[in-house]
Amino acid sequence: MFGRLTAVDRVDLAVEPGEIVGLIGPNGAGKSTLINVITGIEPPTAGSVVFDGQRLDGLRPAAIARLGVARTFQIAQPFRHMTVRQNVAVPALFRGRSAPRVSHALREADAILETVGLGPKRDFPAHALTTPDLRRLELAKALALRPRLVLLDEVMAGLTPAEVNEAMELLRRLHGDGLTLLVVEHVLRAVMGLCHRVVVLHYGRKIAEGPPARVTEDPAVIAAYVGTRAATR
Amino acid sequence: MIRPAQAASGALRQGLRAGYATAALVAAGLLAAAVFPLVAGGYYVRIVTGIYMFGVLASAWNLIGGYTGYPDFGGAAFLGIGAYTTGILLGQHHWPFAGALLAGCLLAAAVAAGMGVLLLRLRGHYFAISTLGFLLVLQQLAANLGITGGGSGMNLPVARSFTGFYYWMLGVLAVAVAVGEAFPRSRAGYALAAIRENQDAAQVLGIEPLPYKILAYATNAFFFGAVGGVYAYWFTFIDPPTVFNIDFSIQAVVMCLFGGPATSLGPVVGAIVLKSLDTILTNVSLFLHNVFFGALVCLLVVFAPRGLAELVRAPEGLWAAIRAELREHRI
Amino acid sequence: MSPELQVALQNAVNGLLIGGTYATVAVGFSLVWGLLNVVNLAHGALVMLGAYITYWLFTAYHLDPLLALPVAGATLFAFGYPLQRVVINQVIRASFFITFLLTFGLELLITNLALAAWTADVRSVTTAYSGWGLPVGPIVLPVVRGAAFGVAVAVAAVLHVLLTRTRLGSAIRATASDVEAARLMGIPVAHVYAVTFALASASAGVAGGLISLSFPIFPAMGASYTFIAFVVCALGGLGSVTGALLGGLLFGLLQTYAADWLGPNFDNIVAFSALILILLVRPAGLFGRARRFRG
Repeated sequence: MFGRLTAVDRVDLAVEPGEIVGLIGPNGAGKSTLINVITGIEPPTAGSVVFDGQRLDGLRPAAIARLGVARTFQIAQPFRHMTVRQNVAVPALFRGRSAPRVSHALREADAILETVGLGPKRDFPAHALTTPDLRRLELAKALALRPRLVLLDEVMAGLTPAEVNEAMELLRRLHGDGLTLLVVEHVLRAVMGLCHRVVVLHYGRKIAEGPPARVTEDPAVIAAYVGTRAATR
Repeated sequence: MIRPAQAASGALRQGLRAGYATAALVAAGLLAAAVFPLVAGGYYVRIVTGIYMFGVLASAWNLIGGYTGYPDFGGAAFLGIGAYTTGILLGQHHWPFAGALLAGCLLAAAVAAGMGVLLLRLRGHYFAISTLGFLLVLQQLAANLGITGGGSGMNLPVARSFTGFYYWMLGVLAVAVAVGEAFPRSRAGYALAAIRENQDAAQVLGIEPLPYKILAYATNAFFFGAVGGVYAYWFTFIDPPTVFNIDFSIQAVVMCLFGGPATSLGPVVGAIVLKSLDTILTNVSLFLHNVFFGALVCLLVVFAPRGLAELVRAPEGLWAAIRAELREHRI
Repeated sequence: MSPELQVALQNAVNGLLIGGTYATVAVGFSLVWGLLNVVNLAHGALVMLGAYITYWLFTAYHLDPLLALPVAGATLFAFGYPLQRVVINQVIRASFFITFLLTFGLELLITNLALAAWTADVRSVTTAYSGWGLPVGPIVLPVVRGAAFGVAVAVAAVLHVLLTRTRLGSAIRATASDVEAARLMGIPVAHVYAVTFALASASAGVAGGLISLSFPIFPAMGASYTFIAFVVCALGGLGSVTGALLGGLLFGLLQTYAADWLGPNFDNIVAFSALILILLVRPAGLFGRARRFRG
């Protein structure tokens, strides 16, 4: 809660390992706040966050990151004056017990950059990247943490359909490599194509949950997005 | 700024060659510095020692102010701690100078670490003014406690010759520059660069900010303490307003900014240029040198806020760069 | 009445009265910070100038310090306007560090020019009524500090009215909340900034005059007063006249009781400790609005 504004109201959300779960809802539904609570940036006013049997609420964001929970930011947050490679080396250096030396971290960064398709741009300063590349960079940084769970905050926003396809392909590959994903998205095509299960938030409350096809036909969900009259038509 | 490490082998070989060239230059420089007192008169040796002194301060400040982005205006607090510790151990307990000096450095670093836990949680203005407040507090404490001799100050034993101080200061400078050079390429350096660029992003990537900030602050304090210790023995008399003097902090900041905080040698260059100018001006008038510094700060801040080095290197030329800065910053 | 209670009461009176002076010292600093987002490290130097103006008028022309206050205020107004308009406005949209450094440089300049002009000799202003006290019941009301308190309240009132009930005040507040929008509405923002700073300087000048009545005057005195202004702002919040007043009174009380307890030589320690405590516990100040800082 923020003052008298309840951003997220008793949301019960569970993600099983190996799933891709989508989190959708109109703007202001509380999706980003939920991610902030999970990653420790905002403390929950009530309730708890449990990851693999361990409570996350009350932990510092850095500790949560080191436990294997990574996130991307809706508005990309690169280290603007560092190179792409250095950006990715940072999380590689600080992910905890298996953290390597600087030279190894840089090499690891190179490998990850190849995976997301940023290899040729690795010596660019981060502020020189285009939006789709910034998204890739966010993802690369998240991957450098060697996470088990990645929270993706609207990575598809502003991408062309071709770029969305590429992104979906990349995410499928990463999921195949064993990552669990929680995808906050507005681009419904991506949600439909990627997610095993979708959760819908509206005004901070969970109003629907289930397989994508069923959820998108739920009148309550349609009402939330376009207004009640359209739903009952 | 961080220099990316070499990747491809061609670049590596080129780097090694450049590395050899740099190493040769550094060796030559150190050799020249080592023989300098043997060829130059006492007056010049003293001036150069003063330059080394500010070179250390500017380099040390760069760690906390430049790389970490926390403008510390109270560095002189640690200089004073170093000075008084050395004074007490050397003068009253007859420790050898090296031991007293090291004790001063370590105490300064320890105090910084302790204060850092409180102060480094603050941001921006609050941090800066709090460090100023800390300096004022220490000055007042030193003026009122018996162990420091109170307001009348403290005397130290007189050293046999001056040359020792030249080499001590040179040694401290060499260490400071080496630290400043190695630092950005180290894990801590990456952490601080990330924190400086975007602390929130750094945190979700596994960096716990406070310990790294404390490391930078304590290292900065270590060097300020070292300078304080040498200064105390050199001048044989210290009192609160002299060592807990904000002038040391100011000059360190200005020299660092002037030379450019982005590189490890920038602060030293700034120290060389400004201290030389300062020495000339002090001969003209005692008050003038601070007026000069004040005016210099104002000019630098308005026309070259990213340091003179960046301005000179600007691809669009000096005037265009200045005009661009102004357009961005003025109302 | 028991002697302890009497002492405590006297301390309270002394603390509140001197708090008024501290409030005047701080109000300009608070306004510049809250409205222009500039932390003016030269603020103490402006106070120092006000003190010296009062001193010279008293020494050379035998003008009573209380009558010299408007002169000090007007002079500092005239000094502050071009300072903001020509110098500080050049970097006002840059990061705080830049403006911070600039005001730092200005502080150096002003203080050292004063040092060159007037030497480091400590001066003071002693009038016929300097030591007078008015017995009021169990306590004694020091006349000088009482008058200073009155002036402080008057200054606060004037500034408050200026900011809330005049067109200029509206322009200042509009510019403070959104510079671009204000500019689009035709407000001459460079001029408005300069007037705001000039007002703050004027209040600093008056504060300097008040200070000269009770404290020693020397060129380097500014730094302590800048620091006090900072602590008062931490206590009372930024950008509001009432905040500065309340913060100043609180600080005056704090310092008086601490001086009684620890002795007068440790006032900086008290101020610093209070500052750190406040900043760590309630960064917005006891009465202020939250200004979010990361980290």
